[in-house]
Amino acid sequence: MTECPDDVLRDLLPEYALEALGTAASARVAAHLAECAACRAELALLGQVHGTLTRGVPRVDVAAVVAALPRPMPRPVAIPAARRWVMRPVWQYAAAAGLLLAAGSGVAWQRAAGGHAARLADSTLVQSAGRVQAVQATQAARAESGISFGGGLSDLSVDELQSLLGQMDTLRALPSSDPASMTPVIAMNEGGKTL
Amino acid sequence: MSELTRDIEPTPDIALIARWQRGDQRAATELVGRHAQALARFAVTQGIRDGVDELVQDTFVRAFHSLESFRADSSLRTWLFTILKRLVLDRQRSEQRQRSTVELDEEHAVQDFNALDGMVADETLLRVRQAVARLSPLQREVFTLRVTEGMPYTEIARVVGSTEGACRVHYHNAMRAVKEYLSDD
Ligand SMILES: [Zn+2]
Repeated sequence: MTECPDDVLRDLLPEYALEALGTAASARVAAHLAECAACRAELALLGQVHGTLTRGVPRVDVAAVVAALPRPMPRPVAIPAARRWVMRPVWQYAAAAGLLLAAGSGVAWQRAAGGHAARLADSTLVQSAGRVQAVQATQAARAESGISFGGGLSDLSVDELQSLLGQMDTLRALPSSDPASMTPVIAMNEGGKTL
Repeated sequence: MSELTRDIEPTPDIALIARWQRGDQRAATELVGRHAQALARFAVTQGIRDGVDELVQDTFVRAFHSLESFRADSSLRTWLFTILKRLVLDRQRSEQRQRSTVELDEEHAVQDFNALDGMVADETLLRVRQAVARLSPLQREVFTLRVTEGMPYTEIARVVGSTEGACRVHYHNAMRAVKEYLSDD
């Protein structure tokens, strides 16, 4: 049995036999086969080998295999940005309100620091929350973290509130000594990365 | 490469994996249905006679247990075949120990492969099977993955732990050897 000198084409024969080639490659092989007896013989042999090797293979019970599989581990679901505010846990709105009150009405930062908002701050905010009692620190931290808004909570529209929450998302969360309170933070983190 | 692949791609495995991870059992059914028979074929061509379905099931269970660590840079199919290959080797070794023989792996594999002859009634197919049985274990692995699954050399190389170039050589040597055996009649 002579061999075809076209190695590239010969390498396509197994996929051609399994009908796994794209239209263009398949047409190319078909055109070659019309002119090449060696490749026709090899294709016939491939069919025989396939028939021989796959004979007597038991049918796998797919349902039985699936039933034996482990349950999937719950994973955080990526939430489209446009729908995020609807899905937020209540505490995040409370945190946003806390920030608003602290900044808008001059209430001491300490109040917010006692709540969840402190966990959502960057390092500047953390330091401020830890040691500063006065409004000045809040303002400085606000300036550095880039959060800004005007007016009181009642003046904010849904869009403005959402925008504020978006800005909060850019801040890094802090490790918490309370694992339960961390759960929503992990669940909301983009891309499912564990903090 | 795009020219060589199918024109209409089904849902990628990686998307089905993500669906399963979100709790969609139908995605698992689709994944298992997609790969189970190919794995069974490979087990049989590696000389497994009994408990093929059990081996295939073990392969999926192991794979799904560590899907978290699965990376899309390698295909799920490659990964499954690699797991199955390891399980087949483990089983063959343990059977070998039970027999308390000192057979070489290669002789053992050929013997197992030949034991399937009884299932092949047709004379031509019997000759073909004998020709494949005479290949070295590595040649046979490469040859069967290429012929029965149409697996590309890059993927075969990952499954058998070799290089793409070496696998191409193994395939063509195997093809030549099979042709020569069949023309010796
Ligand atoms: Zn040719």
